[in-house]
This record gives sequence, C-alpha cells and structure tokens, in this order.
Amino acid sequence: MPVNWIPVEPNYKSYLQLVVLIDMAILAIIGASLYLFLPNNGWLPAPLWFGAPWAAITVFFGLFWSLRRYQFTAYARTEEAMFLRRGALWRLTRAVPLNRIQHVEVRQGFLERLFGLAHLTLYTAGSGGADLSIPGLALANAEAMKAELITTIANEQTDESDHD
Amino acid sequence: MTELVWQRTPLLTIGFFIAKEVRNLIKNITNFIPVLAAIFVTDSTWLPYAIGGGYLVFIIVSAILNHHFFMYALTDDAVHLRTGVFSKKSLTLKYERIQQAELDQTWYFRPFALTILRVDSAGSAGKEVEIPGLSIDVAQQLRQTMLAERKAVAAELRDDADLPSVPTAKANSPVDLERQYGLAELIRAGIFDNKLFVLLAVLIYPLSQTEVLEERVLPWLEANITFLEESMWLNVGVVVVCLTALFVLAIGVTVVTNYNLTLTIAKQRFQTRAGLLSIRTISFRYPKLQRVRIRQNLRARLLKRFTVRVNQLRPSAHAQQQSSGTFVLPVLTRSGLEELSRWLRLPTRQQLNWQRISPIALLHPSFWVALSAPLTATLSYLKWESNLLALALGASVWLALQLYVVARWQRYGFTQAQGWLGVHRGVFGHYEYWYPLYKAQQVDVYQSPWLRLLGFADVIIYTAAGAEVIKYQPLAVAKQMQSSWLHDIANNSTRWM
Repeated sequence: MPVNWIPVEPNYKSYLQLVVLIDMAILAIIGASLYLFLPNNGWLPAPLWFGAPWAAITVFFGLFWSLRRYQFTAYARTEEAMFLRRGALWRLTRAVPLNRIQHVEVRQGFLERLFGLAHLTLYTAGSGGADLSIPGLALANAEAMKAELITTIANEQTDESDHD
Repeated sequence: MTELVWQRTPLLTIGFFIAKEVRNLIKNITNFIPVLAAIFVTDSTWLPYAIGGGYLVFIIVSAILNHHFFMYALTDDAVHLRTGVFSKKSLTLKYERIQQAELDQTWYFRPFALTILRVDSAGSAGKEVEIPGLSIDVAQQLRQTMLAERKAVAAELRDDADLPSVPTAKANSPVDLERQYGLAELIRAGIFDNKLFVLLAVLIYPLSQTEVLEERVLPWLEANITFLEESMWLNVGVVVVCLTALFVLAIGVTVVTNYNLTLTIAKQRFQTRAGLLSIRTISFRYPKLQRVRIRQNLRARLLKRFTVRVNQLRPSAHAQQQSSGTFVLPVLTRSGLEELSRWLRLPTRQQLNWQRISPIALLHPSFWVALSAPLTATLSYLKWESNLLALALGASVWLALQLYVVARWQRYGFTQAQGWLGVHRGVFGHYEYWYPLYKAQQVDVYQSPWLRLLGFADVIIYTAAGAEVIKYQPLAVAKQMQSSWLHDIANNSTRWM
C-alpha cells in the first residue's frame, strides 16, 4: 500500500535551530564561566581549543542537522495505521495500527508556542513512554487530527467473543 | 446499585500489614544507610537498640493503624476500597476491568483458612490491590466473579471452579488438562534456575552495606583459624563448601516455592498452583497472552528440561518487577513442552522455517572484535615484555570473541507461522520467544548511518510484553514486513487483551 508522506510545517526547522542555539548557548555560558570565574585556571588550555569545536558543532547542528531532520520528518495516515518518519542520521519509520491506540494527546511546549507549533502523541499499551509523537504540526491541524483519530477509534469494531 | 457495606479485615490480618511494612523496609533499605552509619560511628551502646526498638514500635503501630483504616466493600460489579491513615484514598475497581485475580494462601493465614486476594487492573497505572484475610470460600467466589467474562458469566462460573481444594465443584467442571510436577522434577528445576545468584546477591548486598564482614567476620577468621592461611587447598575447600551449601539452599528455595506444582487448563484458563508453606495460584486467560518464552540454559540442556514463561500485558508501573506474578512453568520435559505448546496453540515445531539474518550482520561486531585483539596484544606487551605471549594472548582473545560472534549469529533465527512471530537465540543456552503477531502495538523500521550505507534496516516490533528487534533485513524486505504486519493487525478485530 503506498504511503503518502505529509511533511511537517516549515517552521519546524526554525524551531529546531532555536533549540540547538539555546542548548549551545548554555554550553557556551558554562565554558565561559569556567574561564572567567574559576580561580587559578592556568591549567586550562587556550579558549580556542574549546571555541573552535563549539563553533563547528553549532554550525553542524544549526545548519546541517536541523535541515536534514526537518526534511526527513513526515507523517502519514492510512486506513490502517499512523506512520511517522523521523531522525536525521539515524532514521526511524514508526507505524502504529489505529486499533492499538490507547489515547491521543496534543502538547505544546513553551518554545513550540513561539512558532505556533504543537505535537500530537499517540500512546499504545505496554511501552512506558510516548509511542508515536509527531512534532512540528500547526496547532489547529494537530487538534483536528486528534479529533479525527478519536472518532475513528471510537467507531472501531471489536469482536467481543474470545473465539477466533 | 446496592448500598455499600464497608468491612474491615479480621484482626488476624495485622500480621499481613506487619509483613508489608517489613517488605517496605527491605525494599527501601538503602534509605537507612545514614541511620546504619550513625550506629557504626557512635560509641554509645544503647543507640542501636533505641533505633531498632523504635523501628519495631513504628512497624507495629503503623500496621495497627493501616489495619484499622483498611476498609473494603463488595458489590455485584466492583470492589471498593478505602485506605490510608493520614491521606485517605478511595478506589473503585470494576470487575470487568480486572486483568488478573489470584489467591495467595500465605503460611501465616493457612492455619486459619484465610487467603489474600491480589487483583491487577488494566490501565497504564497498573494498580495492584491486595485484600487480606478473606476466607477461602469467599475469596474463591469473588475471584470467579471477577474473572468471569461479561457475556458468558454463567458458563465461566462453572468452568472456573476448578481449584483442587473444591473437589465437589470438579464433577461438573471439565478440566482439560491437569499435570503435577513431582519432587525430582522440582529439584532439577532448582539445579538450573538462577536462584543461587539471587541468593548470593541477597546475602552479599546487606553484608557489603553494613561492613559486618570487614569489621567482625574477617578479624574473627584471622584470629581463630590462622591455619587456613597455610594451605591454599583449605581456602579453596572453604569456598567450595560455602558455595555448595548455598546451592543446596537455592534448590531448597525452589522446591519450597514450587512444591506440589500443579498445572490446570480449563477452557481458556491456564493456572499454576504451588507452594509448601504459602500456596500461590497464578493464572491467565488465553486471549490475554502476549508472549511465550521458552528457555533452556546450559544446565537445563544437560538435564533436558525447559522453562516456559507466559507474559501478559505489562503495565509500565510494573515494568521492573516482572518476575512476581508471571505465569512460569519451571521444569518441563520435551514431551511436556510439546503438550503445552499444543495448548498454547504454538506452531508445530516440525513445520517451522527458521530464517537467519544476513551474514553482513557479522561485519559490525567483527570490526569491534578486531579492534580488541591489537589492544590486548599491546597491553600485554607493555605488561609482560614478552612478544610471543602477548601475540598469543591477543590472538586467542580475538579468536574466542570472533567465534562467539559467529556462533551467536549462527544460532539466531526467526520465523513466522500461523500468526506467530518466533525468535530463537542463545549461544550456550537456547531461548525461544513467541509473539502473537496480531497483538503487536507498533512496528518500526530503523536505520543507522551504517545500515543505510549497506542498504539494510532493523525491524523492531513492540508488543504489550516487550519489544523484539529483528536485525539486518534488506530495506525492501523490512518495509514489506512492516506493511504486511500492519495490514494483519489492522484487519484483526479479535480481542488482544
């Protein structure tokens, strides 16, 4: 069965870049405070030894990784299952059959709110954590998908008898 | 809806609450390390006694209070519970949502014909509720009501009354299969299960925490049995005797917990009942089966026995403590295994087409193994300054690891048959896992950069009883597996739990 992949919002790339910048800024602050406030820090190597890799990592994640991740992230909904593709270098294609969904959730983090994004999470039984979480959806879209999924699940037919 | 009649458990059950407190103490023993440290640091002789006595009083008082505030009420469709000394908790468990209900006849209740009813409910929180001190008749009645299906209440009630302690009910309840496992079999089980290691851990952990070993035992040994030091063989002998004693003890534990093990299969319900002092029943209904594990470690292979474990849905709250409450048959002969497999409707062994994964899977571990050999060689060269020895050691480490890697690949296989996914693995032992495919929860196709380079992918299947990874499938095959499994799952509307 062909799967029609739907890409996530273009905003998601900016969101990823912001997350990378914030994380790297925290690292930079820690590093800088080491050099500025640590007494007798003569044993530390020249700041460039940390600065150059830091800049390289920031550029790698900010430009390459977030772009690849955005490009690869997509979801698809078929009659039978919900699909999610995610990852940049390590890639995962996950599928959850609709009749195994236990509950559905729309979440919006603080940073996501800045971009008007939300993520839709489907939970199944047995596994502890979140199961299928589609990031980078427009809030209205996420809510609509959630409502649609819930009606599908509610109308599902279950064969109550135990005999196959 | 009838009026709720709140009941208190009999006074005898204080013993149960005390046992619960003690269990909590053992579970949280690490929290008491500061207190233990205080005992060892101070010189005062009364402090240890004060702390011990204080704790004893605390246990008894809290057990009495917990008993006093533990109320339950039974209605036609639910159990209601009200518990808690300071923070009150009330809980309603609908019978139809109950996953499992088991009777525990612990040794301290058995003389009084009382039992503990343990109930597991469905749902992610995985509430476990224990009602102590019910009389056996009431508890059995209740358990049957709880486990009875909504549709076939009457039929189930008859079929379920198959507990051996109710011989009168047996006449009109067709038990499909009943098997008893004798003492010799249980001793075999004790030889190859790993209780010895559990026992060692249980003994060593408190010893290492409290420093009794270093402060008391070792000086005493040195002072009193100096002759030990003179002979290495005596030392070895002492260790061997200790280990043998522990081994025998471990076998004893297995025999006591599994004494008079009885397996009954009636309609769709599988049940084991065992125990010398405390009698425990564990059961599951066939439609709720999520995984079957057939295990045979090296010792079991020599004894030609198998262990079978059946897993149900594992609520995330219970993910760690998986051993208690799962359905296990510790010792089965080849024919016993085949019989049980038939009842579990596993595919017949002869028709299976086991598939290996691609030999390319060997490339990755071999690379790391290849790295290990020069590393070992260099290290031993620096240490011993003998070229030949270093070379030989490096080569033999490489060879051993490489052989292990190849053997592991060679002994791995998976198969699909009659709606089941089977996986077998294990170099020294033999482990087989069977998952009903239509009960799977998610299917992943995963590619690391290395796998992408080769054009392969891992397929990961998540079931309600854990995940299984099938490595190194060609990408197209992996995608094909994912979509065909999804199709099967989505089009199967039978109950999966």
